[in-house]
Amino acid sequence: MSPRRQALLVAGWEFRRYFKWKDQVAGLVIFAVLGLIGYGASRLATGGRVVTVAATGIELVAAEGGRMRVVPAPADSAGQEALLDTGDVDGILHRRADGAFELKVRKDPRFLPELRAALADLERRERMSAAGISETQLAVILAPPRLEVRFGDPARQRAGRAERLVAAVFLFLVILAVFTSMAYLLTGITGEKQLRVTESITAIIPPQAWIDGKILGIGAYAMTTILNMMVGGVLLAVLGTYAWGFVIPDVFVRPAVLLLLVAYSLLALAMWNAAFAAFASTIDDPNTSTRTSVMFLPMLPLVMTFGVLRDPDGLASRVMSLVPLTSPSAMPMRVILSNPGAAEIAASLALLAAMAWLFRRLAGRVFEVGMLMYGKEPTLREMWRWMTAPGR
Amino acid sequence: MLPLVRVDRIAKTFAGRRAVDDLSFQVLPGEVFSLLGPNGAGKSTTVRMLIGVIRPDEGEIAVSLDGKVSGVLPAARSAYLPEDRGLYREIPVLRTLVYFGRLRGLEKDEATRRALAWLERVDLLDRKDERVDALSKGNQQRVQLIAAIIHRPLLAILDEPFAGLDPLSQEFFLDLVRELRRDGTTIVLCAHQMDLVERVADRVLLMNRGREILSGSVPELHATIDARPHIRFNLDEGASGSAFTDDPDVDSVSAGEGAGEVSVRLRPGSAVSGFLARAVGRVPVRSISTEPPRLHDVFVRAVREDDARRGDFAS
Repeated sequence: MSPRRQALLVAGWEFRRYFKWKDQVAGLVIFAVLGLIGYGASRLATGGRVVTVAATGIELVAAEGGRMRVVPAPADSAGQEALLDTGDVDGILHRRADGAFELKVRKDPRFLPELRAALADLERRERMSAAGISETQLAVILAPPRLEVRFGDPARQRAGRAERLVAAVFLFLVILAVFTSMAYLLTGITGEKQLRVTESITAIIPPQAWIDGKILGIGAYAMTTILNMMVGGVLLAVLGTYAWGFVIPDVFVRPAVLLLLVAYSLLALAMWNAAFAAFASTIDDPNTSTRTSVMFLPMLPLVMTFGVLRDPDGLASRVMSLVPLTSPSAMPMRVILSNPGAAEIAASLALLAAMAWLFRRLAGRVFEVGMLMYGKEPTLREMWRWMTAPGR
Repeated sequence: MLPLVRVDRIAKTFAGRRAVDDLSFQVLPGEVFSLLGPNGAGKSTTVRMLIGVIRPDEGEIAVSLDGKVSGVLPAARSAYLPEDRGLYREIPVLRTLVYFGRLRGLEKDEATRRALAWLERVDLLDRKDERVDALSKGNQQRVQLIAAIIHRPLLAILDEPFAGLDPLSQEFFLDLVRELRRDGTTIVLCAHQMDLVERVADRVLLMNRGREILSGSVPELHATIDARPHIRFNLDEGASGSAFTDDPDVDSVSAGEGAGEVSVRLRPGSAVSGFLARAVGRVPVRSISTEPPRLHDVFVRAVREDDARRGDFAS
């Protein structure tokens, strides 16, 4: 059997070791529940209880669509107190002799911002009336200068909030995929060493085929989990379009962009999984090893790329989108937020693919020795010697 | 007969320590060849070089299969049961066996068919869907062995197959080794249980500190056994075996493992009946037994002599 077929066989085995339909369905259900909770909470926030303010001698106009309602208040203070006591109104508003407004309440008035806006509108109308200015005249006076920005390439529009949100979510998913893989590679490989499965397998297949299979299988599992979350996310977005008027950025309906995101995600997983697998093979016992903390180092370049959100076309973002350790998250974010050139994308992809291949080869060499090493963890110098040893 | 495996002056050093040193041997087709030796003798290192997990620093290994000679055992034609062995605990038995069969090159259907046949043979068919860790240690060892030989190898290397097994399971493994040989599989058996090995091995090679110290067929080695009569006494409480030392037929007297036990070795050509008649008259005896000559003694003596010789050289 060829090493490639062996690697695919191992990949299938590793995938099936971890993939459980029950877990995936549970993940989707959790997503749905969270979505429904979010939807319900927003309904409560926007369509909550109506607040009634009773006013005396004030022509207050509540904002249209708001939750505040204005009703006339009884003239006598006993009647006003009775209204407050029964809870029929949430506040009694009146204007003092010095012109200031006074609000009498029984509990903390959460509707204060809405009330302030209504009072400001009232005062503006009163002042305009006193100055003899009509609403139309005021609109002309206050109108800002008109400025339109036209891009030669319509795709170079400034990113809106939706794009930024999507870019941040993408980065989060990449980090999640990488660290999901890391967790399973760490537990899987150190577990195999502790179960003494290693020698049985290395007697059958070459270490490179074994590690390739692991990278593929566990990477596929991580991608499936993320895909499942994305399905949940899409369902949530569809729900969002109805509930909140959320608009899915059109960047996501461009197949080339989607392909690019998938390519970067796969290459990132391949690169980091190779490093994780090699490193895990050198850990003798994960319960006592101090080495496991080093596994979190990839977090650093990934988190650094959050800076791209602020300035996707700045020098730092352009450099990060080329360097293979940061490009898997930096370049896709730039693609979502801006419009990097094709040459930049091609160079970034080529560098990332080369780095993933190099990681895979070096990892194979470390894995070959590390998996058969018991009772002692190799030093970094020893690992470097294995990686650079000629003639393998 | 052309050897299936020819090992020529191989050596391996780990961190300055010579684990295997100038070792040569041949394995003939269809035989059970046993590598024996105490712990740390270099047996497992030798086996790992045979299967290609590690490479010798010096020397050469040649495997002749189907008219071709190569430096490593092809995985599809050989089997290896490592000393450090284990299985994926959380995976069902049948799935585990099919996976190992497929890694060895079998198609899924064929691997399944053979796995089921083997499970029936070892009385585990009704447990095929259970997780491996639900089985007893002995049954896990059976599954482990099936995983190693499911593809019907030409050559099987079994490293310490009897380790940690109860006597019944040991007998099961001995039967299995015989069955494999009958079906034409050549077997390299590494072990330190000499009594079990001599029941199945055709030829043995004894290693100590990485080197060969003794080799030959089992009958040849039996011929070297000390043929002096060996008698074991269980004496009454308070009695001493020192009275035996004055007897003219006694060569040596040593204390046994239990309280009141004494081992007596007679001079060559001594009459056992005459000695026994004198012995029971001198010392109150509860029971008497004789021990047949064992290969175990040959090996213990050979290893001790080798240790002493090397100790002398070292000093």
